[in-house]
Amino acid sequence: MKCAEARKWVRLYLDSELDAKTSAEIEQHLESCAECAGLFEAEEKFDRRLCTTLRQGQRTAALWSVVESRIQSTRGARRLKFRLRVAIAGTAALIVLSIAVFSTRPRTLDLAAAVEECHNAYAHQITSPEFKGPVPEELARKLGDRLDAAAFSFRPSSTQFDSHGARLCHVQAVPVAFILGQYKQVAVSVIVLRKSELEHFPDTKRRLESGHAIACSRAGRYQFAARVVDDHVVCLIGDAPRPQLEELLKTVYKPS
Amino acid sequence: MSASPEMADQRFLDLLRPIERELELYCRRLIFEQRDAADAVQNAVLRAYRAFDRYHEDASFRAWMFKILTNEVFAINRKRGRIAKFELAIEPEELDSLAGAATDMDFSLAPSSWEVLADALDQDLLASLETLNEIERAVLLLRAIGDLRYREISQSLEIPMGSVMGNLSRARRKMRDAILRSRRRTAT
Repeated sequence: MKCAEARKWVRLYLDSELDAKTSAEIEQHLESCAECAGLFEAEEKFDRRLCTTLRQGQRTAALWSVVESRIQSTRGARRLKFRLRVAIAGTAALIVLSIAVFSTRPRTLDLAAAVEECHNAYAHQITSPEFKGPVPEELARKLGDRLDAAAFSFRPSSTQFDSHGARLCHVQAVPVAFILGQYKQVAVSVIVLRKSELEHFPDTKRRLESGHAIACSRAGRYQFAARVVDDHVVCLIGDAPRPQLEELLKTVYKPS
Repeated sequence: MSASPEMADQRFLDLLRPIERELELYCRRLIFEQRDAADAVQNAVLRAYRAFDRYHEDASFRAWMFKILTNEVFAINRKRGRIAKFELAIEPEELDSLAGAATDMDFSLAPSSWEVLADALDQDLLASLETLNEIERAVLLLRAIGDLRYREISQSLEIPMGSVMGNLSRARRKMRDAILRSRRRTAT
């Protein structure tokens, strides 16, 4: 390397910005050229002097103390923001989970929801039977075409079922036979309606027509089960385990 | 950065504390009004703290902090009516000529002048800093105090490498000239 070229790279050399090969070539030249070596040394000296001066000075403790205290106060806000974000994320997850659970949980059948009120009134002794035994003639005359007297004759044939009597009731304006019974010391209502009235309860209708012999559902705190018997729909509702209610329902036959 | 706020805060302070002195010195030498220095440091550090979740560990924290502080100082300087003069005459494709551009040595200087420069008083050196425009001063200080590489200076100031070298060269030459002029005046 010649003097002119070496001097061209002086700054990059002193700032260690050159590649190793060029640096080595410059070093080699400086070893053999006293003039360039002197100039490089002078430049380096000035550089050192400049850096030493510019780097003189202390850190101002008070300033950095203020800086850190401002970070502390900002940090509080950041933590609050972080916790708020976590809380929002948690709430959102909970909502999503609730929706998922709610959407996968079987919905209360429309007929079950409709008859719940009747049974509740019976379970809390707000309502009582109107008659026991055959349907009174006066009531039979009132029934009309939408409900026949035979509806009041449907009963589970289980010996553990006992009836206190029956009454006419209307569920969403649909006339039904309401038999107030008891099964294993638990109040169980038997609700009987014409099969044609299922038009008013499309969920139950769909369930019974889609191959389910028995349509089950929860109705508030009660269990509900319904099945078609001849041209009637017989429903049982009570605070009994669902399998028991289903077994009991299977003992209901068309009255002879 | 997905760490908890507590961990991120601690990490930020761990990275900041070793360079506090350099940051403050850099700010005091770069800012035009000394009374603005404390505000500039505070604003820059808080700005960095708030943006720390966007800082990538693989980048140099030192260079990142100096960049934020430089922007803060430039903004304050602008408010004071001192507009930065960005000199972008040298582009990267002119790199071949950069070596010459970066050669701020005046080889015709007499050995006695070099002695004068080497023995320059602190006050002369600091006074010579005043002869630099804002960008020359920033480049020189980022190199001398920030100890940043040319590449980091280029990224911090968002100027081409050629401009880093050109400004650095001019800054050194201007300072040398100012010191020699001052010493000559003193001698006469």
